Amino acid sequence: MNPSANPRLLDLLAASHALGTMHGAARRRFEALAREQPEVRAAALVWQARLAGISELQPAIAPDPAVWVRIQNLVDAEQRRQHPAPGRRGWLRSLALWRSVAAAGVFAAVLAAGAGLHLYQELRDAPAIRYVAVLADDKAAAAMLVTFDPKNRQLLLQRIGGFREAQNKSLQLWALPPGGAAPRSLGVIDSGPAIRLTALESQLRAVPALAVSLEPKGGVPGEGGPTGPVLFKGALIERSP
Amino acid sequence: MPRDSSAASQDAVLMVLIDRVGHHDEAALRQLYDISAPRMLGVAMRIVRQREWAEDALQESFLTIWRIAGDYREALSPPLAWMGLIVRSRCLDLLRKRASGRDPQTQALDESTADTLQSGCADPMDAADASEQARALHRCLAQLDQRQREVVSLAYLRELTHSELAAQMALPLGTVKTWIRAAMDKLRTCMKQTA
Repeated sequence: MNPSANPRLLDLLAASHALGTMHGAARRRFEALAREQPEVRAAALVWQARLAGISELQPAIAPDPAVWVRIQNLVDAEQRRQHPAPGRRGWLRSLALWRSVAAAGVFAAVLAAGAGLHLYQELRDAPAIRYVAVLADDKAAAAMLVTFDPKNRQLLLQRIGGFREAQNKSLQLWALPPGGAAPRSLGVIDSGPAIRLTALESQLRAVPALAVSLEPKGGVPGEGGPTGPVLFKGALIERSP
Repeated sequence: MPRDSSAASQDAVLMVLIDRVGHHDEAALRQLYDISAPRMLGVAMRIVRQREWAEDALQESFLTIWRIAGDYREALSPPLAWMGLIVRSRCLDLLRKRASGRDPQTQALDESTADTLQSGCADPMDAADASEQARALHRCLAQLDQRQREVVSLAYLRELTHSELAAQMALPLGTVKTWIRAAMDKLRTCMKQTA
């Protein structure tokens, strides 16, 4: 059988492979072909890319707080052992295809096939983002995303939770300096879904965490620190060089 | 095509976090969890249909992410899709383990699948913060009828063969094959236009 000579058959096989309805010997034969033939690899990758979004479309369910505690304990234990166990590879079966495709330079063919992957290429090349933070409420639910682009001196905040402050209140963003020094204001957050603030990298360098407080409308002067309750906070993460 | 800046920036944040997790940064793991765990638990519930198992699979998934995040750059897939594959794989491992242990709940699990027919696909809100690719898929899935959509989602999430799907959904094998074939044809046409 040579599916590359029959585009319709190839497409059908790649679809069954990505969907998971192809099992057993048929699956092994198809994956062997994909290793040998770039067209087969490309078709497999295109369908994997098309279907991968299914996992993003399921309704969200908040996990019990105990789950994070368990994860943290296991991660801590693994860190203490100093030699993290290598990831088991079995599940990588499908990812292995992604990888061999990239290695074989078939990525261009896939782009031409229009898998929509150009976006990720773009994201990968573009970001001048140096810092990110996910600010969560006291129940660890993510409420706000923060990114900082030092080139444009721009802090971008994006609301992702359902929180809306009252008409007579404002949210204010703070840098929490190391060593318990007084928080420094980074600006007042307006009510839109995406908010841009101007900031210098020096205002964020060595800052371990950011916080958002609830303040009177228009915010408070920066010197005195927050006057209202802290609603969201999170560590400031610096991108790897 | 106008890009939704919020989805793009969420992907950018997730990519930085996964990168830092690859360097064993626990604060980054925490943030990755805060932002994505509810979505991933939704995937796990869809596959294993039982809260306790789904949370076990979620825990195993984040341990896997902790161990292999350093490989993410090579995966070339959007961050939530990459994490979704890990969750799916951990869930299927768990189901296989329970099945081989002849856990009586496995049978109940299969029997409960029929009710997912009523659950339909994700509502439009669920696609709001998804990646561009997932939103394209969402638009295309919306063009299928609900039964086709369901059979495609279940096949994908549970890696079921045609006959397993037919058994689980109490449908004739021929019907399942026809629906999947028709659904994949429509998806292909639709996703080509979107891309």
